[in-house]
Amino acid sequence: MIHLGLWWPLLAGLLLLLWPSLGRAFALVAAGLSLLVSLFLFAGYGGQGLAYTSQTPFLPEVGVYYALGLDGAGLLLWLAVNLVVLLGVWVAEVPVRFLALAFLMQTGLLGIFAAQDLLLFYAFFEATLIPALLMLWFYGGPERLRAIYIFALFTLVGSLPMLAAIFAVRYLGGAPSFLYADLAAHPLGGSAAALAFLGFLIAFAVKTPLFPLHAWLPSFHQQNHPSGLADAMGTLYKVGIFAFFKWALPLVPEGFREFQGLLLFLAAFGALYAAWLAFSAPDWKTLLAYAGVSHMGVGALGLFSGTAEGTVGALYLLGASMVYGSAMFLLVGRVYQRTSSLEVAPVRGLARHAPALYVLGMFILMAMIGLPGLSGFPGELLVLLGAYQVAPWLTFLAFLSVIAAAAYALSAFQKLFQEKPQAQVVPDLAGREWGFAVLTVGVLLLMGLYPKLFTTYLEPLGRALAALVGGAS
Amino acid sequence: MQETVLLPLIVALPLLGFVLLGLWGRRIGEPAAGWLASFLVLGSFLLGFWLLLQGGAKWTLAEWLPGIPFSLRLDNLSGVMLMVVSGVGFLIHLWAIGYMHGDAGYSRFFSYFNLFIAAMLVLVLGDSLPVVFIGWEGVGLASYLLIGFWYTERVNADSARKAFIVNRIGDLGFLLAMGLLWSMFGTLSISELVEKVEAGGYSFTTLSLAGFFLLIGAIGKSAQVPLMVWLPDAMAGPTPVSALIHAATMVTAGVYLLVRHAFILHGDAFLAGSIVALGLLTAFYGALCSLGQWDIKRIVAYTTLSQLGFMFVAVGVGAYWVAIFHIVTHAFFKALMFMTSGSVIHALGGEQDVRQMGGMRKHLPITHRHGLVAALASGGLPPLAGFWSKDAILAYTFEYGPWLWALMLLASALAALYSIRWYVLVFLGEYRGKAHPHESPPVMLWPNHILMGGALGVGFIGLPYVIDYKNFLEPFLSKAIGEFPHEKLPVWTEWTLIIVSALVAIGVLLWGFRFFQQPLPQWYARFQQAALNGFYVDMLYNTLLVNPLKALAELLFSADRGLLGGFAGLGSLMGGLGGLLARLEAGALRLYLLGFLLALVLLLLWGVLR
Repeated sequence: MIHLGLWWPLLAGLLLLLWPSLGRAFALVAAGLSLLVSLFLFAGYGGQGLAYTSQTPFLPEVGVYYALGLDGAGLLLWLAVNLVVLLGVWVAEVPVRFLALAFLMQTGLLGIFAAQDLLLFYAFFEATLIPALLMLWFYGGPERLRAIYIFALFTLVGSLPMLAAIFAVRYLGGAPSFLYADLAAHPLGGSAAALAFLGFLIAFAVKTPLFPLHAWLPSFHQQNHPSGLADAMGTLYKVGIFAFFKWALPLVPEGFREFQGLLLFLAAFGALYAAWLAFSAPDWKTLLAYAGVSHMGVGALGLFSGTAEGTVGALYLLGASMVYGSAMFLLVGRVYQRTSSLEVAPVRGLARHAPALYVLGMFILMAMIGLPGLSGFPGELLVLLGAYQVAPWLTFLAFLSVIAAAAYALSAFQKLFQEKPQAQVVPDLAGREWGFAVLTVGVLLLMGLYPKLFTTYLEPLGRALAALVGGAS
Repeated sequence: MQETVLLPLIVALPLLGFVLLGLWGRRIGEPAAGWLASFLVLGSFLLGFWLLLQGGAKWTLAEWLPGIPFSLRLDNLSGVMLMVVSGVGFLIHLWAIGYMHGDAGYSRFFSYFNLFIAAMLVLVLGDSLPVVFIGWEGVGLASYLLIGFWYTERVNADSARKAFIVNRIGDLGFLLAMGLLWSMFGTLSISELVEKVEAGGYSFTTLSLAGFFLLIGAIGKSAQVPLMVWLPDAMAGPTPVSALIHAATMVTAGVYLLVRHAFILHGDAFLAGSIVALGLLTAFYGALCSLGQWDIKRIVAYTTLSQLGFMFVAVGVGAYWVAIFHIVTHAFFKALMFMTSGSVIHALGGEQDVRQMGGMRKHLPITHRHGLVAALASGGLPPLAGFWSKDAILAYTFEYGPWLWALMLLASALAALYSIRWYVLVFLGEYRGKAHPHESPPVMLWPNHILMGGALGVGFIGLPYVIDYKNFLEPFLSKAIGEFPHEKLPVWTEWTLIIVSALVAIGVLLWGFRFFQQPLPQWYARFQQAALNGFYVDMLYNTLLVNPLKALAELLFSADRGLLGGFAGLGSLMGGLGGLLARLEAGALRLYLLGFLLALVLLLLWGVLR
């Protein structure tokens, strides 16, 4: 089942590339099937440890395995990825080949969350870059070359030290293979730990994105296709928090402790800094890019606190932000389809003509700024409870962003939807957009009202990590 | 106290209304939407009342988040608040059926209105801080939606946004309080916190800090100085909103929060002093500003600020039950004052400037009666409701310090003055406008009749002990708030205070009654100019805070956009200027690559040498 879930999107993507005439209907079915598979896996999860494990030697003499498995975090993120892909395929008006690239990327992302072998993880982590770059290359805006250059540079340069770190933890730590279980049983200590952690740190910080390595993100979003599909996939690619949680912290806990103070500071500062900047963003994509940096700063603060609550909060926030972040990009894509502009500045007053679109926007926006009852809040609260025990002042700094978030989000929202409506009449939600709206709002409410559904499975992971890296609990 | 699933039903009823009207409001239409919303709130009221008679109730969902249950609790304190919120809320719903008649967003209005009631009930009933916070931000959302109800006007949308953002400053305090209490006690359940605080074994300074954080939250929601600036602007919403949310219920949530956590605040001289000081400042600021307004709703809004200041002072001096008492009486007379104002606005076809009013005594005789009672109750005339709760606050302040009593007496004199000014300008003299005033329909008059009854009589639930030794409210509330024994004033001191405050109220009311009917003297006009603009606090905030913060956002933004990676970013932040940037970028890239290669080589070397 897990293999089907993992490779089916790739297959679907390849089929679509070869026979684009299969068309949107096929894409929808394919995306729906992926979501069904992950729902099935989630429903069948027993709640303890790693499930659906599978291990096949790949290069046994070197210790490389094709090893998969899903725990609570992996399942949550699988669900998030598959849901977002379905939403994107459902609502974004893009060429079929574009959808195919999204499917290719989907497999890469699912692989990142399921890989139980460090080299396999690395392969997925890097391979996912390719479809992301291709989307930008084929469907990006006029300045996409620069955006590609920056994006690729950050990612590739980040991954070199990571490769070094991978070999370091395996060989210096003395593990018999690259399997997660083996590596975790032989954590790397001593002074190499700090260097190895630094290797991971750079690669993962780029993908978190953690201040100041977030600089690639705004141009990435600005230049991507206005439909928002590529942006949604990019949002899913912000796997840094997961990667820290799954690999960097457990494998080199000593190294993490060396950097913990710095990381807490960068996370907290970045959370406020990005939220503040977002206020000045001239267009919605830039605004959402910075909003994402801010949320991930909050999440990273929780994870780096090394507490159980903070870790659970970080993972929950990661999953939630994948959904509301992507949904917001897709919504903005629908707005672009109506107004041919993504600029924040001129007043548009869309609410008068498109009240349902307005309500949908309100829901996603409120989830984004952490309104209790919607999906953003449980994660933020748990991060707060965890981080406050370790670094109250930095927590204060980071959570100043809740004020800034209200400022940037509501100000831009007001210009887009409220005030004097323009003469040009825009259509309200129609057709497939209703499906998108209902599904999105349903998930935002579910994650906001009944977080226990996922936190039950995340909690043991949080405790285990807290015991390992030694925060208070 | 029984465990019952009926308790969440109290919240579920108005929530159901929100969902139904939100989804099918247009089909339900006018006036069915209004009646549906109203009766759902009445349902909450009746159910709550019944459960309260049973001796309270609680309900717990074992685990909502790890270690955090979702729990509701109906005790005497939350019960009183529940009665006020759903009872007065029901009346204002009814009244709004008439007031919102013909509005294009009729059912949308009642949908939001029910959302507000549901959120407010969660806030009141929540027995776990995160649950309270759900309601806390929920009412903030409802307030945002309703202030900006007519969002096609920019000023309304701006006011709504301002209210939300300023409230978020307070919310941050609430969040930090949760963080701190969790790290101290490992629980956020209020009932458990009570036990843990009693048990001791923690640093009192830290607990004091938690109280301080809660205070920040309360300041935001209850619009105390220095976060009061959002409340006057909130009048941009329809008048029922002002009556329900920005007078009777939501703005008292901060006071309720503090009373609920009296076990944290009590005995902390620093916190008590801060609360008293802020309350006092707010009481005076609100009163003075109200005296300078021309917009009828802003007049009343500032009187609300002033009365909220009274409640804060009550909390500060440890008179927790009195603060709740004042919430109750205030809910009646202030809602009445707002709805009378609304009836007048309604009668005059939307006119809000009191200079275009006057003479309503003749034109709207029934509404005039409501207005008179509201003004006298708000002005503290014995034996109306406002007098008894205000008097109880004064008695406690006398115990705290006679100087505070004197200041509060002055503040209540101002309260009498602004109440009578409002009455005189609206109802007396000759009509100065051009509309054709008409009395409101029954659906708007009946709620006001009932509120008028409350404004006249509800004070009798909390009479001073020298009159009624078996005061009902104090022991009733103390069961939930906790017993905080205090020395009762000697009988004759108490009597003297009562008589002095009665005389002051009567004297000022009479003086103002004449003063505001005559042409105003020069000094008053000068004072009025400053008061009209809220003593320029908004301008000050804009210059000192909002604009610099915005400018800094611009600056950081341009710095960040020019930056390619952190090092270049730091460089460009310092160097800053455009021309340098291109070279810096290229330089930083090289530095990057160099750094990574270095790291790689070091790692490999380490591996070889080991």
